[in-house]
Amino acid sequence: MRKPHVAEPTAVRWGVMAVALVFLILFLVVPLAAVFTEAFRKGVGVYLAALREPDALAAIRLTLLTAVITVPLNLVFGVVAAWAIAKFEFPGKQLLITLIDLPFSVSPVVAGLIYVLLFGRQGWFGPWLTAHHIKMVFAVPGIVLATMFVTCPFVARELIPLMQAQGTDDEEAARVLGASGWQIFWRVTLPNITWGLLYGVILCNARAMGEFGAVSVVSGHIRGQTNTIPLHVEILYNEYHAAAAFAVASLLALLALITLAAKTVVERKARQSLKGFVHEY
Amino acid sequence: MSIEIQHVTKIFGDFAALKDVSLTVPAGELVALLGPSGSGKTTLLRIIAGLEVPDQGTVLFDSQDATARSARDRRVGFVFQHYALFRHMTVFENVAFGLRVKPRHERPAAAEIATRVRELLTLVQLERLAERYPSQLSGGQRQRVALARALAVQPKILLLDEPFGALDAKVRQELRRWLRRLHDEIGITSVFVTHDQDEALEVADRVVILHEGCVEQEGSPEQVYEHPATPFVYRFLGNVNLFHGRVEGSQVHLGEFSMEAPAGMGQAATPAVAYARPHLLDIDHQPPSGRPHFQATIAHINAAGAVVKIELTTGSGAIVNVEMPHERYRHLKLRKGIHVFVSVKDMKLFTQAHSTLGGGI
Repeated sequence: MRKPHVAEPTAVRWGVMAVALVFLILFLVVPLAAVFTEAFRKGVGVYLAALREPDALAAIRLTLLTAVITVPLNLVFGVVAAWAIAKFEFPGKQLLITLIDLPFSVSPVVAGLIYVLLFGRQGWFGPWLTAHHIKMVFAVPGIVLATMFVTCPFVARELIPLMQAQGTDDEEAARVLGASGWQIFWRVTLPNITWGLLYGVILCNARAMGEFGAVSVVSGHIRGQTNTIPLHVEILYNEYHAAAAFAVASLLALLALITLAAKTVVERKARQSLKGFVHEY
Repeated sequence: MSIEIQHVTKIFGDFAALKDVSLTVPAGELVALLGPSGSGKTTLLRIIAGLEVPDQGTVLFDSQDATARSARDRRVGFVFQHYALFRHMTVFENVAFGLRVKPRHERPAAAEIATRVRELLTLVQLERLAERYPSQLSGGQRQRVALARALAVQPKILLLDEPFGALDAKVRQELRRWLRRLHDEIGITSVFVTHDQDEALEVADRVVILHEGCVEQEGSPEQVYEHPATPFVYRFLGNVNLFHGRVEGSQVHLGEFSMEAPAGMGQAATPAVAYARPHLLDIDHQPPSGRPHFQATIAHINAAGAVVKIELTTGSGAIVNVEMPHERYRHLKLRKGIHVFVSVKDMKLFTQAHSTLGGGI
């Protein structure tokens, strides 16, 4: 298979691979292993107790709630935005693409601060919200909003290039065959982007559950009420409950591993669906 | 159903794709829209389908204004250049799509849909591939699935965009004849777009030649081939030799040679261009009497094919192409490098750019 005269010398190839491997082990595998080792250091009993503790359970519930709200909303937003960008020409399209990327380029802490500035007691809408007994900042709505902001590019970013590559031929074919707008969307557009969409959702979910910076600013760190898993880990660690901190952190590590596995499967499927498309041409 | 295009103009940004185009497609005919890329032929097809809206002008189906009717309601079948098959559906589901998306009160029962789809797949000779996915089919098979899908909704008009463009030469030949037979069988008014003049001349009842957003000529394949209305049509429909010159009095001077100008050319000196197809030029060792002729040297001979193709260089360095039957080639014993006389059996003379004045000699 290899052509000897174009390949690098064996020593170089092994050297490059070794560097990459050592780097991966040092910076990814070792820390991940450390999380689980530390979590179980004082035994399974302590590990389970740390997870069963009411504040930990509340943090898990809040994290799940946040993900359950933000992921579907971002899914809808992502599909709509990608649809508009990929299938239509309109003024301000470039601006929209840039705006979708904004959360990637802004520090999450700044994103959190924006919401405090807008909805906090001293913020722009603060007086109005207080008058109507609505609590946004240091409460669940603020956490959901901050998470929404941080995770909103994931689905759209995944879909835009896919939908642009697929073009509008399929939709036009469906239209000429008599399909309505809804029928075109459900029967043609959506099946064409299923795997890309799922890929975006997986990434979006991982970020929604793991987000720290933005949520930390708006949460207020009220135990049992406004702490998500990452915030809970931080508190435990700051209070020198190392074993408990790692036990809760192991949940996030586990989520990362599951995400990685799902991502690999979906990525392969997504590539196949695009390949089927390219092959068609 | 007949199609009438009246004064249609379509502009994309600052590019005029169609400029005041009018055209009639009689019911039941197979018409080719022929032109180079950028001539507006696909835009015209998409306007007929309702996928583009003309900036000006009207589209009539059976004398009824259909300009404002959406693509959904036009009942046209459209076969896309790259087929646009739904890749997540089987061949069967692709063909059934148009029936399944009908409003409930019009939608046939499941059993009826199955029967219709089977019939169509038999028509396009794909009944055994019903459960395959598009990615598992060859180009020619996909093309036929696309056609069956378009026909499933019983359209009144069938539109095909470069139907054979993405296929290799052999499959293209077969599909051409097959499409012609299919059209004769079902008799549906059909319009197809192509940039391949052979395809248009072989398959269509009528050929419409488009150039830079305007109709250059329309007519039967024989008409447009034998009597091209403009130099563009002459050049576009097959190989051609070009002679630049001028008309002076009753004579046409074409560089290498002169000849009698056809009647009605006018007396004033005007620039002229003469066109001659390679098979309308002849070669001989002696100057032939009674025909305009000039001297040339044989530069290259290609005898592989149905006719012998000979490339010659004239005294002034111009290149002339001649085609002749093998019989005559052997009789003349032509070789590379010898001097011969080229005579003109027939040629078409155009004065100025687009004038249709003049004619054969």
